[in-house]
Formats: sequence, structure tokens, C-alpha cells
Amino acid sequence: MERVLSIGGRLQKLIKEAEMEAERKVEEAQNRAKDMISQARTEADNRRARAQRGYDIEDLIQAEEEKATKEAAKVLEDYRKRADAIKKTPEERFEEAVNLVLREALPG
Amino acid sequence: MSKGSIELEAQLIERIVDKRKELMARAEEEAKRVLQAAEEECERIRVESEKQILNVVGSELRAVRDRIVGTAELEGRKLLMLARDDLSSSVFEEVEKRLWEIAEGRVEGVDFAEVLTKFVIEAASAIGGEEFIVAANERDLKTLKKNLKKVRARVEEALGGGDLKLDVKPVATMGGVIVRNSDGSKIYHNTLEGRLKNVRRRVEASVAETLGVI
Repeated sequence: MERVLSIGGRLQKLIKEAEMEAERKVEEAQNRAKDMISQARTEADNRRARAQRGYDIEDLIQAEEEKATKEAAKVLEDYRKRADAIKKTPEERFEEAVNLVLREALPG
Repeated sequence: MSKGSIELEAQLIERIVDKRKELMARAEEEAKRVLQAAEEECERIRVESEKQILNVVGSELRAVRDRIVGTAELEGRKLLMLARDDLSSSVFEEVEKRLWEIAEGRVEGVDFAEVLTKFVIEAASAIGGEEFIVAANERDLKTLKKNLKKVRARVEEALGGGDLKLDVKPVATMGGVIVRNSDGSKIYHNTLEGRLKNVRRRVEASVAETLGVI
């Protein structure tokens, strides 16, 4: 019985150590999280401050240029389609327009 | 050591090992959750910061977009306008071609002598007075000469009088007449090209509407 009690004491010690290790693990993660957030905040603040002074915005400008270029191509393509549709105006409409002008040009 | 003591000891060890495993697993999970939350917070900070930066440089970005898309808009509108103008011009070119055919008497069902008579009456009415001198191209002068009696009668009928003379000197025109009073103070150009020019100004919008391009 004495032996069991002695083992019990050692095991309790092991549990205590495990608890401490677990706490350390969580604490480490919390510290790392704090660092990550702090670094992200610092980077964001720096980037914002630089942007306010007109620095480091080339990537944004370039991204906007690429976006706008794609949009411009779409706009132009749309106009091209409309212009092509005009070129393909049906013959009967053309004839109707010719007759309209002829009626106006000649006395009734 | 009794068998009972050994079993008790083994059970104790097993419980402690399980408990340790449980503690460590819970700690691992908590650490993972903390880091995950931190990553999410970092992402939120980055997104928020990008938003603020976009606000700061918004006017510059808008200028970039306006420059590029605006140029395309202008170019596109030009394309559209050219296509409309081309189509509209081809209508008037076709009309001009047909007017030539009409003036040359090549269109069935259109009596150009009658058209000329109406042109003379219209011009004389606009000028007013008693005496009118009618100029035309060589071909139309011949037609008018041939029908002069009839034309005079029609003018008289329309205006209640008026003397009509033909100018022997032909003018360069597609067809139609140029009528003036005796002292030349009033001139009315009733030529086909003149009429077409006036009509074009007047009906260009209607033509575009008929073509379905506006």
C-alpha cells in the first residue's frame, strides 16, 4: 500500500508538469498571436502613412490600370458590335429611308 | 507485492497517462484556436488598411480609370458616329443617284416634265410678282421649251397671272430650275441638288430614326 501511495505522489507530480506544459503551450500561442497582430498593425500603419505621402501605391495604380484596360476593351468591343450592327442595317429600312428623302426632295 | 496492488498501480498509471494526453490535446486545440483567431484578425487589419489606402489614393485611381476607360468611350463613340454617318451618307448618295435617273427620265412612273412644272410654280410663288425668268440645264430647258405653253398655263392658274420666259443660257445643274424676277432682285434656286441639300438638313434625324440608328 505504501508503494502505491508513493507512485501516486509521483504521478500527481507528472500531472502537475503536464498542466504546466499545457499552459505554456497556450501562453506561447497567445504571445505569438499578439506578435502577429502587432506586426500586422504596424505594417498597415506604415503602408497607410506611405500611401498618404504618395509612396508604394504603384501596385494599386498598376492593378487599377489593368482593371481599367480590361473594362476599356469591353467598352470598345460593345461599341464595335453596335457599329457593326449599324453596318448591317436591313435593306428594307435603307429603302424606306431613301423613299422618305425622295418624297421630301420631289414635289408632292 | 500483492496482485491487487499491482493492478491498482497499473490502473493509476493508465489514468494519469490518459489525463496527460487529454490535457495536452486540449492545450493544442486552444493554441490552434488562438493562432487561427490571430490570423483572422491580421487579415481583417490588412483588408481594413487596404480599404483606407484605397480611400486615400481613390482620386488617383479614379483618374487612372477615367483616362483609360474615357479614351475607349471616346473612341467607341467615334466608331459609332462614323458608322451612322456612313449609313446616312449612303442613303443620300442613293437618293442623288435616283434623282439623276429621274431627271434623265429613266424612272418609270415619274414624269420629270411635271416635276419641272411644279418646281417653276413653287419658285414663282415664292418670288411673287408678274414676270419670271427660268434658267435650267440644257436638257431641262429643252423639256420646258417643249411644254412652255402648258407650264405658262399652270403658272397662270396657280398665281392668277404672270409672264414666263426661258433663259437661253443653260446652267450647270443636275436638274430643276433657277427662277428670278425681271430685275434679278429675287432668285429662287429650285434645283435638285439644292432641294436635296435642304432636305438633308431637315430630315437627317428622321432618316436616322428610320434606319434605326438613334
